[in-house]
Amino acid sequence: MLQIEQNNLLIESTLTERIFSNTFKSLDRIVSDFDFTTYHLSSIENKTKILISINLKCWNDLAQYGVTQILSEKYQPFSSVLSTTDAEQGYNYSFILDLESAFDQDQDFKLSLINELSLLKRNSMAAPFCAAFSRYDELFKKYANVNTYSEEVQMELQNEKVIIIKYRGLNESIYLKPSFDRVTIIFSTMFQDETDKIFGKVFLQEFVDARKRSVQTAPQVLYNTEAPLDIANDVKKGEHFVTFVLFPRHLTIGDKRENCISHIQLFRSYFHYHIKCSKAYMHSRMRFRVKEFLKILNRAKPENLDDDGKVIETRKTASGRTFVK
Amino acid sequence: MSQSLKPYLTAVRSSLTAAICLQDFSSQLVERHNRPEIEVSNTHNPELILNPMIISRNENESILIETSINSIRISIKIKQADEIEQILVHKFTRFLTSRAENFFILRRVPIKGYDISFLITNFHTEQMLKDKLVDFIIEFMEDVDKEISEMKLFLNARARVIAESFLIPFD
Repeated sequence: MLQIEQNNLLIESTLTERIFSNTFKSLDRIVSDFDFTTYHLSSIENKTKILISINLKCWNDLAQYGVTQILSEKYQPFSSVLSTTDAEQGYNYSFILDLESAFDQDQDFKLSLINELSLLKRNSMAAPFCAAFSRYDELFKKYANVNTYSEEVQMELQNEKVIIIKYRGLNESIYLKPSFDRVTIIFSTMFQDETDKIFGKVFLQEFVDARKRSVQTAPQVLYNTEAPLDIANDVKKGEHFVTFVLFPRHLTIGDKRENCISHIQLFRSYFHYHIKCSKAYMHSRMRFRVKEFLKILNRAKPENLDDDGKVIETRKTASGRTFVK
Repeated sequence: MSQSLKPYLTAVRSSLTAAICLQDFSSQLVERHNRPEIEVSNTHNPELILNPMIISRNENESILIETSINSIRISIKIKQADEIEQILVHKFTRFLTSRAENFFILRRVPIKGYDISFLITNFHTEQMLKDKLVDFIIEFMEDVDKEISEMKLFLNARARVIAESFLIPFD
């Protein structure tokens, strides 16, 4: 498994089971996802409806960039079965899924409904990215016929507001900065221990070099232990910074942009997941090597020792019988 | 095997074969005690301790052989060219030392300045064949270098694949 799935498998299987079974059963399930996200699926009103709630660490940041609007647009096609409601206690956003009317829908509708609901985290997190990308569209139009090298324009671009998403609570964040010809995305991250740090460095170096070597069309990646200037006054000690520069070719409106949003969101999870995988592999490798060393050492022991550690001479016939003295 | 490794290992092999010449020896300080004399602090009778010997391949790789009448201590410094190798060597030696009871001759804590230490006493040489013990040390030295550099190569290769497969879907 090289890539991390965008959707949440447990939500997908739970809903598939419920929607395709055509029976009402009670349900109360808490599902967790990356970055401390939790979902709560519970049956209400005589089990005919399912309440789906999501809790995200960065909801306040997302709310600033119109997450509710984006979600309601996203789930508009399913409005016949899905209605929004006041957020459940302890959660940020809630849907009510009407099972009775969902049963009557055709197969395709059900499948796409399940799929979109399992992408709830991705869709919520997309809000600030959409905001940054549409700001890029505006700037692109605005400066289309202007000399962008002039000082005033440079100043204006410098002062462009940076969007901050504190998606893991206090420590690790995503920073987005749109410009007229690119969007810069900075991830700040921390490493648990020294090994993670060094493995992380090796990995990031390859991210930086990949563009030079084989994937020329990829976004530019930069790695730094000091904060880039745009966000310098807003960071903590011990953080490492990974910068992605997305160029217009990655921001083409349509599938490509959506794909880009889904993909870049999961960078941190992907990165740390693979560090852990390598550590696990190293561990199993060492285990194997230690076993080999033990075998070599055990060769030093004569095979047959009596209780005093003295070698017993035993000789066998061709048929495997031993001589008795 | 590289040019300089072979003479290094040959030197280690003949020195070890010469040094592992141990006999049972009861403690002169405490009655009914029998301790590996090399581990007893130097307030003890110095006539039981032989001259230690260092064989170096270069400044990063060397082996220290300390001999006494009934025990020998072998400490190995493993090559560490950069911080990746450092962390891998550290992890690997920790892995070994935490399994020291299976290894009989492995010392739980290495001598200062070295990565891993072995302690062979006369009881070990009574139970195990001396030549095979020397073989073990030599093979250990060979394999550890190989293993560390393989792990490093693997890490780099993996990082490359990971980076590329993350960056390709953008286009």
